[in-house]
Amino acid sequence: MDPFERQRLADGRVVTRREALAQAVTDRAVELVVSALDVNALLDRVDLNAVLDQVDINRLLDRIDLDRLLARMDLNDLVQHIDFDALVEQTDLGAIIAASSSGAASDALDVVRSQAVGLDEFIARWIGRLRRRPYSGPPGPPDGLRARAAS
Amino acid sequence: MTTHAGDATPSGPPAVIRASLQGKYSGFASRFTAFAVDVGVSLGVFMLALAAISFAAKVLTGADIAWNRGDLWVIIADAVWQFTYFAYSWAASGRTAGMALFGVRVVRDDGTDVSGRRAVVRTLALPLSFLFLGLGFAGILLGDRRRALHDVIAGTAVIYSWDARAARLRFLSRG
Repeated sequence: MDPFERQRLADGRVVTRREALAQAVTDRAVELVVSALDVNALLDRVDLNAVLDQVDINRLLDRIDLDRLLARMDLNDLVQHIDFDALVEQTDLGAIIAASSSGAASDALDVVRSQAVGLDEFIARWIGRLRRRPYSGPPGPPDGLRARAAS
Repeated sequence: MTTHAGDATPSGPPAVIRASLQGKYSGFASRFTAFAVDVGVSLGVFMLALAAISFAAKVLTGADIAWNRGDLWVIIADAVWQFTYFAYSWAASGRTAGMALFGVRVVRDDGTDVSGRRAVVRTLALPLSFLFLGLGFAGILLGDRRRALHDVIAGTAVIYSWDARAARLRFLSRG
């Protein structure tokens, strides 16, 4: 056997032992440091707003595969956790549902009004063509209404 | 094929009402049909009133009253009734029966509620729009704010007041 080969084997064993020892020491040190740290106190010192300001949420969202995420979620279970009574009370959903569940008279009104609006738009489009002005929908609202809606 | 705003389909509302129309200036057809309904309603009520007076006179005095549309006082009564019908409706709620049916409303030109004075001025100015073959109504077709002559004189405008988005939700909920 090559005398240098024996030497290299011995060196290799020593190196492996040293690496294992270093790894064990590092693990222990990290463990000691982590256990000594007060994470809550550390988080208290972090300015999360400043961190969030630096995060590009759009870029983050682009990297999320929402389809995959939704596939893993149990939406039925999620829906059962929603307090619909509170939701209806706190949003305009109640008004929409009330408006959506009215009777036949309301349906007839919708049809009459829709037809009238359709005719309004038909006439306006033709007037636009005759005047060579592209028509882009009914004008408005008046400034006062716009300001009220914005406030 | 593209869908134009306002295309009406036999089974649903036109595409334009995918957006809410509330507050937008009302078009010619809605206004004209609402006015036609109002003329019918006010005339019907007036005729009913005359018939009721005839009936009451016959019951109370036994005398027959024959109404002639050419009689001066019938014309005056009709004019007073028409004025009351339109002016009161616009002052009280900004809409007549026909306008309520077609979901349109009179507002001041800045969008706030119309006052009694403006309602009276608008009613008095309304006949002026019929002069010269209805030239005063051309502003509804050609103007940026779709205002007729009587709107300009009274400082008013007519807007859609119905919630088209809710109508669409109702339509969708019916499947």
